[in-house]
Amino acid sequence: MDDERLARFEAAYHQAYGLITAYAARRCDSPQDAADVVAETFTAAWRRVDELPEGEEATLWLYGAARKVLANHHRGANRRRARHVGLDAAMADLYGDSPDSKVELQAIGQVFRTLSDDDREVLTLVAWEGLDREEIATVLGLSRNAVRVRLHRARRRLSRALAQADIRYTTESRLTPAERPL
Amino acid sequence: MKHIDEIELLKPLARVEPGGPGGDPTGAEARALLAAITAEKPGAVPGTRRRAPRRPALGLAAAVVLATGAVVGPSLLENEVSSSWAVAKAADGKVTIQIRDFRDAVGLRNRLQELGVPAIVDFVPWGQECRRPRGKYVKDIPGNLYSVPENIPGEKLGWQMRIDTTLFRPGQTFVWTISAPATGHGSSTSTYLMEGPITPCEPVPDPRPRAIEQEFVPATVKGRSLEGFRVDEKTVGEVLPELRKRGKKVVFMVLDVPQGHPGGFLGKGRTQEEPVGDDWIVWEAEENAKGVIRLLVTDKRYDRNPLYGGPRDAVVTE
Repeated sequence: MDDERLARFEAAYHQAYGLITAYAARRCDSPQDAADVVAETFTAAWRRVDELPEGEEATLWLYGAARKVLANHHRGANRRRARHVGLDAAMADLYGDSPDSKVELQAIGQVFRTLSDDDREVLTLVAWEGLDREEIATVLGLSRNAVRVRLHRARRRLSRALAQADIRYTTESRLTPAERPL
Repeated sequence: MKHIDEIELLKPLARVEPGGPGGDPTGAEARALLAAITAEKPGAVPGTRRRAPRRPALGLAAAVVLATGAVVGPSLLENEVSSSWAVAKAADGKVTIQIRDFRDAVGLRNRLQELGVPAIVDFVPWGQECRRPRGKYVKDIPGNLYSVPENIPGEKLGWQMRIDTTLFRPGQTFVWTISAPATGHGSSTSTYLMEGPITPCEPVPDPRPRAIEQEFVPATVKGRSLEGFRVDEKTVGEVLPELRKRGKKVVFMVLDVPQGHPGGFLGKGRTQEEPVGDDWIVWEAEENAKGVIRLLVTDKRYDRNPLYGGPRDAVVTE
């Protein structure tokens, strides 16, 4: 029985590890926080391994678990715990490429951050994780229709906020502030 | 303004690009975590809160601790996050350096030496450079030795770059000169890989013009000659007939895209009149005062527009 559980958990772990680390890295400001979220997500999954679905569904289930861990994590940011240092270092690798590395993206990022948590959550699950409505419904524990409405409204608000911010292109801003004669 | 899918705009914001690989489940740290978690008995009773499993006390995790160091430089600004620099060395030998204030080159240099990074850092006043040559230039620079300097996420000033210390050969030194005007706005860095002895930096006036030559400006944006004509991500063969039809003289700039380039300034390539292959990829069109069109091209297709670090629509929204 325990062997069967272990095999199931290991399969889910292998299938979802990359996706969950990416999910955490996209949403945590530091690799340490992301490492915490990853470790706690899989720890929680192991505790509830009997509820863990099989196959592809397991990944959606883990997204849902990671989402709850993340929410708790943001709430108790001062509650630091002994961390997996190796994981920190590995997560730091994912932080190498700066997401806002361009001035224009920073502007979009600023607009994006003005949206509500709910709006951002549903938008990023589409944009970053590439989930469809049905998958999002599973992750969020909502009906498909609720997701459809939420997504529609979030897109509208994003679009409006972008228009208001009047993000424009300038010649200079294509350049990063560094010269690189090498 | 053409319709832009807002969702597409968000993709480049993702720290780990959508569809890109996250952590590697076969990596040592992933396996250590799996082992640590499954060392505990799985809980079957929902709702009972258990203590988190104890991490393995020694072994892999401990070995990594020794190799990881992170030090933040003395803060020159009041704001806590704006320490003048930060250096972190990961277990795999990659060093991440963030610089926010360019004047503390000495502290940065000392810290890099502590971490065993063969680097020399000098600060020169704005408009100056170290007298050249300071040593022998290395010709065959390993790919991925360092990343192009890029902005620090969420911050306006400063930039960061990574150096892979495992790729240095014996006797090689990363010679790095940084400069910033007293106003604090803008900065410049020059990086050379050299071998053998390096002479100390002797600041001399920088002969290069400071202002970036703006002979060519984007031509496909509003109010310019190619307004509404999208050339990005098309092949040269697709773009040229239309330009010829419009009677345009066309020149090319071949972009040199370093491996792992995040997007952004690519340095000034050479502008040439000689044609390039019809299957080459166009990333943007520029024009000068005489109406000459310059196509920015590469000989192969990249996943991301190297000028914009992603789709043009994520950057040019008009």
